[in-house]
Amino acid sequence: MLKRSVSVLVALACVAGVVVYQAHAGTKPAPAAGDPNVFVPSAKFYTDFSPSFRTSIADAYWLQMIQYYGEHWKTDQRFDALPAMVDLVTTLSPRFKQAYFFSAFALIDANRPDLSYHYLLAGYKANPTDWHFPFYLGFFAWTYASNKDRQHVAIVAADFYSQAAKLPGALPSVARLAAALLAKGGEKQKAIETWAAIYGQGDKYSQQKAIAALDALLPQGKQERVTVVTALRDLMPASQYSRFVSAIFRGYQ
Amino acid sequence: MRRIYAIAVNTFRETIRDRVLGVIVLFALGMIIASLWLASISLNQQARMMKDFGLVAVTFFGLVVAVFVAASLVHKEVEKRTVFVLFSKPVGRTEFIWGKFLGLAATMLVVLAGMGLFLFLLTLVVAKQASGWLLVATALIYLQLLVVMAVTVFFSTVSSAILASVLGISVFVAGQLSHNVLSLSRLGNGVVLKAASWIVYVLIPNLSAVDIKPTVVGEASASWASIAAWGGYLVAYIVVVVLAASWVFRRKEF
Repeated sequence: MLKRSVSVLVALACVAGVVVYQAHAGTKPAPAAGDPNVFVPSAKFYTDFSPSFRTSIADAYWLQMIQYYGEHWKTDQRFDALPAMVDLVTTLSPRFKQAYFFSAFALIDANRPDLSYHYLLAGYKANPTDWHFPFYLGFFAWTYASNKDRQHVAIVAADFYSQAAKLPGALPSVARLAAALLAKGGEKQKAIETWAAIYGQGDKYSQQKAIAALDALLPQGKQERVTVVTALRDLMPASQYSRFVSAIFRGYQ
Repeated sequence: MRRIYAIAVNTFRETIRDRVLGVIVLFALGMIIASLWLASISLNQQARMMKDFGLVAVTFFGLVVAVFVAASLVHKEVEKRTVFVLFSKPVGRTEFIWGKFLGLAATMLVVLAGMGLFLFLLTLVVAKQASGWLLVATALIYLQLLVVMAVTVFFSTVSSAILASVLGISVFVAGQLSHNVLSLSRLGNGVVLKAASWIVYVLIPNLSAVDIKPTVVGEASASWASIAAWGGYLVAYIVVVVLAASWVFRRKEF
């Protein structure tokens, strides 16, 4: 009986010891962010040595990349190893779309907008039917390009938006952005044609936007306006065109 | 054939009695916890992570069962001398090995089917993104594990259970790297080295020829022709190794 009681007591003491130790360890403050220069193996290493687990390894590094970004974003704002992590994840899993989108914004925090652009281009190449890639490329080109020639940047961004607008699932606003940027870039004729195409394919809101933008872009003189508007006939169905003409010449005699 | 069937059924019952199916419960609990955890840390990639890591878990849980059960299967019978009772009846050694292997293959089928179906249903319920490819991937993992099992049974006829387990796991790892051996054979200049590398390449099972996980997570599209060819290769490899195990076991002196 005594032996049994001693055994029970020893067991209880051990359980208490384990619980108390862990509870104490849990009260310590969260550790400071680790070294931002963590070692990241090359993608080739994993593709050579573990081809069957390539996506699983990419997923594991995706989780690590999120933790790494969050940890350093909250503390020292240093993301030295982020480019290597992005490269590893996107090389092992080239069609992992979310990895490209997350990395594009995270690399801005790492002061590497050039890499954001580079990886979005790589993602677009690997996923050519996803409209988000040219859309983000247009946004990044317009927002973060170091080129001082804003007209040129506007044309580059408009080109990406135009590509995005042609892909399945693209929002109607993407084509409007392309048209607006073309106008900003000085490509007046292209901007007019894009707005006309938006009118032909877009919803009611897009059509209102197109009329307002075209009203500002088209020549004010009636005869010149007629000449330009006649050339837009092929960009929309005939039924739309007559409504378009009456909207664009509202207020004219 | 009837004798092989009888041994297989007994082996199946024996391994089930060893609570091998507990692995399915462990897997299920692990996956449920992992799915909750992944939902909060994967940045909206829960479905992808569940499928990918789920298949890795199926592989490793299955590997543990396949190797440790296969390693002790023949060895246990010899150690406990029950094999003598069996051989006093009109049962050949080849029939014994095939019966043991097929019984264990049936157990593995139940284990893998349990884990695969659970993973399929979990991704369907939790992430609403189940893919039929998950079940195809599980079937291919099953074939890979049968190869490892066959090799482990072969080693268990010539060595101890522990050594057979270690060698079984080593063959699984080597099977993932077999293409590297081929690269080495191309690098060498000497004819002997090239020939030796090529022989090693042929001897090691090619377990990485087709990777279906990228298809499961929507990364790539799999080719049914390459899946069928690889499946046929794995079945042929299994037959050769089990025949070799039977041949060695026939010559074994107790």
